[in-house]
Amino acid sequence: MGFFSVLGDCFQILKHTFRQVFKRPFTYFYPFEDRIYPERTRGRHIHVRENCTACAQCVRICPVVAIRMDKEDKMYEKDCALYFDYTRCIFCGLCVQACRFEALFHTPVVDLSEGDRDDLIYGPDKIETLDRDPLKWRGRRFR
Amino acid sequence: MSPDILDGSMDIWFGPQHVSAHGWATKLTLVGDYIVECDPNAGYFHRSAEKVLEFKNFRQGPLVLERMCMLEAFLAEYPYVAAVEKIAELEIPERAKVMRTIMMEMSRIHSIQFWWGQFNAELGFFTMALWPWVDREYSLDVFEELTGSRHTVSFSTPGGVKYDFTEKVMTQLNRAIDRFEDRLVKFKDMQLGSPTFRARTENIGLYDVKQGLKWGLSGPPIKACGVPMDLRKDDPDPNLAYDMVDFDVPITENPEHPGQSDAFDRMEQRFAEAETAVSIIKQLIPQIPEGDIVDPKARGKANRLPEGEAYARVEGTRGITSVWLKTEEKGQTAYRAKIRGPCIASYYALKDLVPGSKFADFIVIFGSLDPYPGWWDR
Ligand code: SF4
Ligand code: SF4
Repeated sequence: MGFFSVLGDCFQILKHTFRQVFKRPFTYFYPFEDRIYPERTRGRHIHVRENCTACAQCVRICPVVAIRMDKEDKMYEKDCALYFDYTRCIFCGLCVQACRFEALFHTPVVDLSEGDRDDLIYGPDKIETLDRDPLKWRGRRFR
Repeated sequence: MSPDILDGSMDIWFGPQHVSAHGWATKLTLVGDYIVECDPNAGYFHRSAEKVLEFKNFRQGPLVLERMCMLEAFLAEYPYVAAVEKIAELEIPERAKVMRTIMMEMSRIHSIQFWWGQFNAELGFFTMALWPWVDREYSLDVFEELTGSRHTVSFSTPGGVKYDFTEKVMTQLNRAIDRFEDRLVKFKDMQLGSPTFRARTENIGLYDVKQGLKWGLSGPPIKACGVPMDLRKDDPDPNLAYDMVDFDVPITENPEHPGQSDAFDRMEQRFAEAETAVSIIKQLIPQIPEGDIVDPKARGKANRLPEGEAYARVEGTRGITSVWLKTEEKGQTAYRAKIRGPCIASYYALKDLVPGSKFADFIVIFGSLDPYPGWWDR
């Protein structure tokens, strides 16, 4: 290990460093921009109420008891209202696999943070749609 | 050791607040700069996984196991699934076997990439810590594309796997493997040729095979002594596809101290493990058969299991990972589950291994054994 080989190592490291300077950044200016999530991303759920048969398979399989069901609340013939508790959910995907009526899906929406714990319990009004109020910061709109 | 040496000694708690001590605490007794006593304390990370398994049914069980070690989630959940399959006598489709093997090796690569960066960070070589973590992102992209989650993958299920390989997954997989294979050679040169790294790791934490086996070590810490002890060859699982590939058990033999391994050998061993994993994946990708990914009858059969007990094990990244499962007649949940993580052995090995070395070398010895707290506290 002579002086020159150490110098060689130093140059090799510097070469890598300089190469990175001219590359596009690997980071995103979150939350104004975000990466593209794959199709299978296990984010928050969406409940398609037309297809639901109130079979309760999703409630039974959930390992952390994150889903509550209200059978009284009917919009169609046999459906039910689902309440998802995102303080408990571990995004395991079992409920989506258990549903055989194409009524429950994951969506690639993963930014769920809220200021209040109670807002993380998604009732029928929130779980059946992906729309939400846009958040603004200094006049710029994000998500 | 005469008691008067200990008069001037000092006790230091290494952890649980230390940054690289993610959830463990080791009491070290120092005389000057030398450690004379080491007292590993497990229990700061306890999540009562074995008890939790008694309340989860057999499709929920793998979720608990993969949380034991998220770095090797595909490997960690497998023993439980295999034990359930043994009791329920399920047939696994060929395609699922190959897919499982590929993803388990990918998981091994991911775990090694993470450990490699972390070990370098612990030694203070932060540049070398970040480079493998770039490659790790590519591995995570494969997991995310395949299962929808980056760490808690939830891939295996009794009777097969849950998610099928798509064209996009294959593209990502090939990209991750090709990139890592290319960079592995360069990194190996850079890492093992670095004089600073050599000075820091050579002849540190030296033990021989006999000691290692006495402590119950398995996996890379033993293979680094030159012993080809590997479950993939010694006890091939019929539900995995290791018989379809041609590979040698990676071992490291250092002519300077045959039959022994130091921290440097263990680093070299991890490189060899990664190379073997890459070659296994490359051989398996063209051999993926067509067909089902899960046995259609498995869902019904795995709901209620007959009475029985089964033991299943797999060669994990850190050593032998196994689960023993006992079920009752028509049981919906396990009557008793026992998890054996590989790291409990390597953590308690510190008790005999560390005394006599310098304080600054403690983290080198600890890191080189690649312990993960999730495995010893469960
Ligand atoms: S994703 Fe898993 S934890 Fe979340 S609600 Fe569905 S079953 Fe329960
Ligand atoms: S969402 Fe699916 S599984 Fe859940 S009650 Fe409705 S139909 Fe059944």
